[in-house]
Amino acid sequence: MSALALCIASGVRLALHPFLGPVMPGVAFCIAAAMVEYFFGLIPSLTVMLLGLGIADYLFVPPYGEIAVINRADVMLAISYPLVTLSTITLIERLRRAQFSAELIAAVALSRYEMLLRADNERALSRRAVDETHRLVRHLPHYHDAIILLQAVDRNAAQGAKEMAPGRLFASAHPDDIERLQRGLQPGRHRVRIGSGDGVHKLVECICERFTTHAGEFLILRRVD
Amino acid sequence: MTKETPALNTSTFYSGSDHAVLMLHGLSSSPLEMRHLARYLNSEGLTTCVPNLHGYSAGTPELKMEAWVTAAVKEFDALSARYPRVSVCGLSMGATLALALVRERPSAQAIVLLSVTLDYDGWAMPWYRFLLGWAYYTPLRHRWRYREESPFGLRNEALRAKVGRAMQRNDLSEVGPSSISLPALHEASRLAASVKKTLAALKNDCLLIHAIDDETSSPRNAQFVASNIGSTVMRTIYLDDSYHMITSDNEREIVARETAVFLKESEAASSAEGGAKPVVSKALARRLRQMAAIGK
Repeated sequence: MSALALCIASGVRLALHPFLGPVMPGVAFCIAAAMVEYFFGLIPSLTVMLLGLGIADYLFVPPYGEIAVINRADVMLAISYPLVTLSTITLIERLRRAQFSAELIAAVALSRYEMLLRADNERALSRRAVDETHRLVRHLPHYHDAIILLQAVDRNAAQGAKEMAPGRLFASAHPDDIERLQRGLQPGRHRVRIGSGDGVHKLVECICERFTTHAGEFLILRRVD
Repeated sequence: MTKETPALNTSTFYSGSDHAVLMLHGLSSSPLEMRHLARYLNSEGLTTCVPNLHGYSAGTPELKMEAWVTAAVKEFDALSARYPRVSVCGLSMGATLALALVRERPSAQAIVLLSVTLDYDGWAMPWYRFLLGWAYYTPLRHRWRYREESPFGLRNEALRAKVGRAMQRNDLSEVGPSSISLPALHEASRLAASVKKTLAALKNDCLLIHAIDDETSSPRNAQFVASNIGSTVMRTIYLDDSYHMITSDNEREIVARETAVFLKESEAASSAEGGAKPVVSKALARRLRQMAAIGK
């Protein structure tokens, strides 16, 4: 990359040489070193600066194409060019380091923000579970006489293994309906045949509600009054 | 739950659920430096195994890096035979070894890289660090050892003083060895070079945790892995109150918690029942949408 930057800087300065002559022999290399410092770092830019000094002195300081002759123009270039270029490189390097440091601090802030959001989600889930538990606790005594069955769903177990507890109307429900519901009970409306005292089964509107609590997930099927 | 008391350089195993985590410690160190993390993950229900790897761990004869990878693969296979899910977690050069291991065993559930070290380029590295690669080819190879010096990878001053005293007494402390040989450093460099070439082929879920003030491996190591690894599920966490030994330093609780959360999320996301936790926080949902939009 340093070599490419040197080639471009030399080409540009050579193209401008008919107009500029011996004026500002190191400016193109100074700009090249500053840009290399910004994009590629300190070592490549110092390389460009040092090699640029040699090229500028050889090609653009009279007498052109001779290295053995040292005159006032060579001394001027040897003092002014490294001074300006080093100052520029140093400033850019400091700014780049400050920028890198700021970017890392921003990355820490972002990491902490995302951790906070995840913890916030955990809290929201816990709060929801608490609310659901309270709702379940209120639900059970309120609909005590209308409950057909309760089902606990273990989400971690293979095939979503279920445990079932009968409600007060369980014994009155038609066995085929019970078997169907046990196979795949889903939240929502259902119609279940409930037997009356004379052995006749009547279709009754039922509703299944889901409760996601601390202890797990429960489905409760009850008759709609 | 079976629990064993870890000695200084013996393997540690904590039995838990059917998701096992193979934990790889740093170069020439011992399972002791992963003790806190292993216990925490186990308390969260995971099975954890911190093996003493032949040729890599302290107290074993120094071998080539290929032997390190073989030993790690052997431990992984032993866990795979018993547990349906095995994740890999590594600290420092152990993280680099974890990358090499996952390259050999792509079936790993997830990979957790703590202070991943591809180059020793942290701010506390001595100026002559670059010469050590060449010193390996001189008679210094078996005579000179790189000595660990303060801050020993620790920002916590009380712990640093304790570790400093331990290192004066023994060759090994709870955060690593007091010195590392040139052949071990040379093999570590070879391992890092081989891993760099194959990062893009790794597709496992990946968690990166790195301290921005890491004195041994700069955050550029984590940035390099993050921008080159082929994982689609990728989470990067930067810390600002720790140095290199993030499993023992000021933010060890954060490291442990985030590691456990990530491993459980990875497990839930890949399970057939889709047991991933629902997102109910609106702020988190918004952030996830932003990340999805910018393709992170």
